[in-house]
Amino acid sequence: MKHSRWLLAGIFLAVVAVALGVGCGKKGQRGVTDTEIVIGQWGPQTGPAALWGAVARGTDAYFKMINEEGGINGRKIRYIYRDDAYQPAKTKAVVKEMVENEGVFAFVGGVGTAPGMAVKDYLIQNQVPWVGPASGSSHWAYPPNKYIFSVYPLYFDEAAVLVDYAVNTLKKTKIAMIYQNDDYGKGGLVGAKMALEKHGLDFVATATTQIMDTDLSSHILKLKEAGAEVVIMYLLPKQAAISLGTAAKLGFKPQWMTTSTLSDMGLMHNITKGLWEGVIFANFAEMPDSDHPLMKKYREAAKKYAPDERWGVFFAAGFLFAEPMVEGLKRAGKDLTVESFIEAMESIKDFKGIGPTITFGPNQRQGTRSVFLSQCVSATEAKQLTDWMTSDIDVEEAIRRMKEGE
Amino acid sequence: MFGQLIINGLAVGSLYALVALAMVIIYKASEVPNFAQGEMAMVSTYFAYMLLISNQVSWHVALLGTLVFAFALGMVLEFLFVRRAKDPTVLDLIIVTLGMQLVLHGLAGWKWGPDQKDFPLPISDTDVVQVGGLVISYLNLTTMIAALLLMGLLYAFFQYTKIGVAMKATQQNWMAARINGIRTNHILGITWGISSVIGAIAGVLFAPTSTLDPHLMWDPLIKGFAAAVMGGMNSLVGAALGGYLLGFIENLFGLYISLEFKSIVAFLAIVLVLWFRPSGLFSKHYERRV
Repeated sequence: MKHSRWLLAGIFLAVVAVALGVGCGKKGQRGVTDTEIVIGQWGPQTGPAALWGAVARGTDAYFKMINEEGGINGRKIRYIYRDDAYQPAKTKAVVKEMVENEGVFAFVGGVGTAPGMAVKDYLIQNQVPWVGPASGSSHWAYPPNKYIFSVYPLYFDEAAVLVDYAVNTLKKTKIAMIYQNDDYGKGGLVGAKMALEKHGLDFVATATTQIMDTDLSSHILKLKEAGAEVVIMYLLPKQAAISLGTAAKLGFKPQWMTTSTLSDMGLMHNITKGLWEGVIFANFAEMPDSDHPLMKKYREAAKKYAPDERWGVFFAAGFLFAEPMVEGLKRAGKDLTVESFIEAMESIKDFKGIGPTITFGPNQRQGTRSVFLSQCVSATEAKQLTDWMTSDIDVEEAIRRMKEGE
Repeated sequence: MFGQLIINGLAVGSLYALVALAMVIIYKASEVPNFAQGEMAMVSTYFAYMLLISNQVSWHVALLGTLVFAFALGMVLEFLFVRRAKDPTVLDLIIVTLGMQLVLHGLAGWKWGPDQKDFPLPISDTDVVQVGGLVISYLNLTTMIAALLLMGLLYAFFQYTKIGVAMKATQQNWMAARINGIRTNHILGITWGISSVIGAIAGVLFAPTSTLDPHLMWDPLIKGFAAAVMGGMNSLVGAALGGYLLGFIENLFGLYISLEFKSIVAFLAIVLVLWFRPSGLFSKHYERRV
């Protein structure tokens, strides 16, 4: 008796499963049904990089807004994100779980070079599209790969733009650099050096840091002794704060310039006790308090769907990385498959959201090479210095130099 | 420039010396390098931050409250985790301290979040005293003086107070101390408390030069440990001197040889010291006879 009841239940479940399976598999596309599209993201919600976990949560608010507006071609987005604590091994596990158990159609964002590198090959092998890796590494789009679309400006390019501005507009020639000893820092170093060479210049000094260093006095002393007028900084927030504090103590007052990684002005102003004022930094999107109509709209959306979140650069970046994806999904139309989505993404030309102009093509996967510069005026106010500026250094050459370990 | 280098080295060396002192005190009592020392200091620093920012108390009250908190934290950790270990080997104890480190780190991340915070100590790290072209910030000066003062206090404490002498007795021979009526368990608890207080002072003085986050003490802890090994894990004075020496070597190495390997020089120093003087540079060399 008991057995037969279990048997009946089993048969019932099997029937339901088959019925559902038929429903899902009608178009044979993982992660797409008549009513929904499954999109995934990973991001550090805990651990040392948890500050950037805001990206994945920002995307959540953005998709909620899109769904409320009626979704895309009659489908709603079902969005899931997982914490990888910025540990590549965990990234691998959560991405596999999202693809194989949740049936994710495509990924968006995903913070960090190392976590992204850990899953890049897996995504390509399983033909899972990935839009907007949240890192300026050149690994995503060079060489171009069918499934990956990058919208984050390259670390080379930000450095080159900063050098161009220092030389052409500020008329400075004594340029130095402090950078951390990894892909991010070295990418900046190579980009800046190539831009300097273009102007017939070289660094007056460079100083490299290990990521956990907390005493940077000999680094700063070296830059000061070299008489640097401009210091380009490729660091994370903590070491940037230590650098500025140490320089202030030693009476060293160069023009500091830095990347979009440190564009969270509220945070930087606070942890540097106001020393951030005057620092010039690159931006990959309109500033959070911008009057740009889309930015206004997103601010409202954030208030509505994520009232407890701080409306900072990284939360807004969650909107930025997902914008081209939504555009691609719209263009792909009702018949959504990986192939039709990629074709649609490749058709994106001069797309404008809250970021720079984005263009993809059959062999072009780096959507933009532009940033604009602004300068910190106070804790809440920044002055925009330039319009979008595009880097013109040779990316292939920069990658070659990176490999040589220059 | 060389003069400035020495000052910078001494400034950071004072911090290493404080951490080294905190580690040595526990090492002498429990015979374990306490790897939770940094996290204990970090949590105490957060406690100070909470008092200052959320509770808006004046900073000397906050400082006092923090020292009391740190003392209690040290005692509680010893009571809850270290004392529970049954007939522990050194390795067991190390694992216990590593476990406490993870717990405290996770706790801080959960309670205060991963964001870097500015620690508002009213002693400035950017206002400086100038002597003949050399500069030293008020905060660095305070750290140096605090380190010296604490060393003096500790010396007097171990030499002249009853508890101090009882501690030394416990360290030298636990059983004999017990037979002589010293409540060794209490003594161990107090040792952990004192060590935690010194760590907290290091944390509070260090946080304004860096940023307050759960990783606050990682670098200082490793360097403080290196300094203690260099100077001698059994000697308070040795450990402190090791701190100054390490700060100085690091800065010298960074500027004249390689910035890239500046952090690694500490470990090179450990290896060399262990090779030639296993008990540390400033510690009496002894070999255990079986």
